[in-house]
Amino acid sequence: MVDSLKVRLFKEKLFLIGIAVLTISTVLPLFHIMFSIAANGIPVLLKGGWDFITGTLAPPGGGLGGIGPAIVGTFILTVLASLMGLPVAVLTGIYAAEYPNSLIGRATKTLLMVMMEFPTILVGLFVMDIVVLPMGSYSAIAGALSLAIVMMPYVAVYTDEALRNIPPKYREGAFALGLTRFKVVFRVLIGLARKGIMTGILIGIAKVAGETAPLLFTAGGATRVYFAGLNRPVGAIPLLIYQLVQQPYTNYHEIAWGASLLLMLIFLAIFLPIRLSLKEVKL
Amino acid sequence: MKRTLIVLAVLLVAAALCGCAQNNNPPSSPTPTTTATTPSTGKTIIIIGDGATFPWPQINKWIDVYTKEHPNVKIEYNGGGSGKGQSDFANGVVDFAGSDPPLTKLVWDRLVNHPPAEGKDPLQFPDIIGAVVVCYNVPGVKHLRLDGPTIAEIFMGKIQYWDDPAIKTLNPGVNLPHKEIIVVHRSDASGTTDIFTTYLCLVSPEWNSTIGAGKSVNWPVDKMGRGVAGEGNPGVVNILKTTPYSICYTELSYAIKESLSVVAIKNKDGYFVLPNATTIKAAATHVSSHIAPPNAGYKENLRQLLNAPGKDSYPIVAFSHLLVWKHYSDPAKGKAVHDFIKWVLTQGQNDKYIVTGYVGLPKSLTQKLLSEAEI
Repeated sequence: MVDSLKVRLFKEKLFLIGIAVLTISTVLPLFHIMFSIAANGIPVLLKGGWDFITGTLAPPGGGLGGIGPAIVGTFILTVLASLMGLPVAVLTGIYAAEYPNSLIGRATKTLLMVMMEFPTILVGLFVMDIVVLPMGSYSAIAGALSLAIVMMPYVAVYTDEALRNIPPKYREGAFALGLTRFKVVFRVLIGLARKGIMTGILIGIAKVAGETAPLLFTAGGATRVYFAGLNRPVGAIPLLIYQLVQQPYTNYHEIAWGASLLLMLIFLAIFLPIRLSLKEVKL
Repeated sequence: MKRTLIVLAVLLVAAALCGCAQNNNPPSSPTPTTTATTPSTGKTIIIIGDGATFPWPQINKWIDVYTKEHPNVKIEYNGGGSGKGQSDFANGVVDFAGSDPPLTKLVWDRLVNHPPAEGKDPLQFPDIIGAVVVCYNVPGVKHLRLDGPTIAEIFMGKIQYWDDPAIKTLNPGVNLPHKEIIVVHRSDASGTTDIFTTYLCLVSPEWNSTIGAGKSVNWPVDKMGRGVAGEGNPGVVNILKTTPYSICYTELSYAIKESLSVVAIKNKDGYFVLPNATTIKAAATHVSSHIAPPNAGYKENLRQLLNAPGKDSYPIVAFSHLLVWKHYSDPAKGKAVHDFIKWVLTQGQNDKYIVTGYVGLPKSLTQKLLSEAEI
């Protein structure tokens, strides 16, 4: 009797340890990435100083220069992509959640899932065909549109899931008060689901801020011109990192580390405050 | 609670309106925006280029120096690859392009017969010379000499060990180990592979008939289990450095930066030469006559540029090219592009503006090109 209890306790401990080891090995790469970016990036930022953030690209083998145009470009692209993608995506998510059994509702959900896994490089090629070639130039608009297409399914699926997780009694209660369907959705349900929706929006924004592939054929890239108009090429930090690491010059590799660190800091700066300040809605 | 919801709703609507406005923009904007940017000629001119990644550092160096001297011109060059450069140039998406291989007749005809609104009459210039070098990682061996046929047999897999008689006779006195040779090659389609295999076709009839030349080829060593593939030049170089008794081909700049051991190759005249500025320039001078005039770029043939004659000539050199239009629809931009090209072919070829690992064009060649281009 006592023996079998011991065996069971031992099994429990063993299982817990096993889970802990697996959890650590799952998060370990994340911390390793963050650590190596910080270890390699911080010296570059310290050496480059303010110029690294505002300046333009250095020649090969000639100092650090700066990545100003890429930072400006990433900012423009992310804002523009959010303006294009978020409204459509949130409304799509609401539709899929509100009409889960209709043909269009189900089709929307399925298509969103497909879109989520769609190769982003093809999105870039598609936008190149419909925007870049007719306009005759790479542009911020083209880059932002292709980022918006990448962003939309994430935001829509998160919105849909967040709304579906609200227990039906709230919806029924709201209807019982005599509210119209529009008011039920936009005044009651969205408020309850705000944490989930906001998470989706943040994941969408963070994802596109770090995307490279959709920009290869759309944004054009910039290392010296900060901003020349929405219809002209812009830079982006991931695009710059991608170009720099292919080169055999140590100063380009250093710039790439610095740029990676900045990208990570921008990402954390968007993500953490909003994520932490949002309070869970108790249902 | 209620207030935040209203704020959220207002934001959502506002964002939706902006979003729609932005979404409508692309299809409707092309005509007004492109014409709107052209009149601003008195101010800063922005030139956009795209194309080959191989000359990217060198072109960046030129841009850096040139735009400091000419603050009213801003130039961007993005390394998207030779293929992308060619198609972007043909579509009028960029003002100039870089391409490692010279244009084919097919592409050239398209540029001549169906030019974009951006410009017409294409011109092609070589702008910089690079070299494909053979590197090895054999502990204890500092100097290695090989000739074309031996290199071909090594990369074909026919020579299996480092102490093969063929290698030994070329390297008397060198202590070669009895170890299997690991051949490292590119996994991706690459201009470097194209140049290297074209050279092997020229020096080895067997390579020419069984494997051939191309951006990617079927490596027989892979089937023998002695071939390893790496992605891009950095990938190949990394494998070489971590694999003892391996051999690879890569661009000169990577070999210099990574301090790799480089093979001295026997040239057409029978001399063993290492790749450096002198030997590469010598080869370029000897094949200058095979460089096509700028207005007939498709006539250039890679095979005529490799295995150059001459005592000092390094046999595997490669020219990278720039593409521009002779006539631009925006004359101010056209002048700016032509000024930059002329600067690249004159002062830009000055040794102090040439990045390590690249070699400038011989002066006789640039003068010939500039007089033929008439820009």
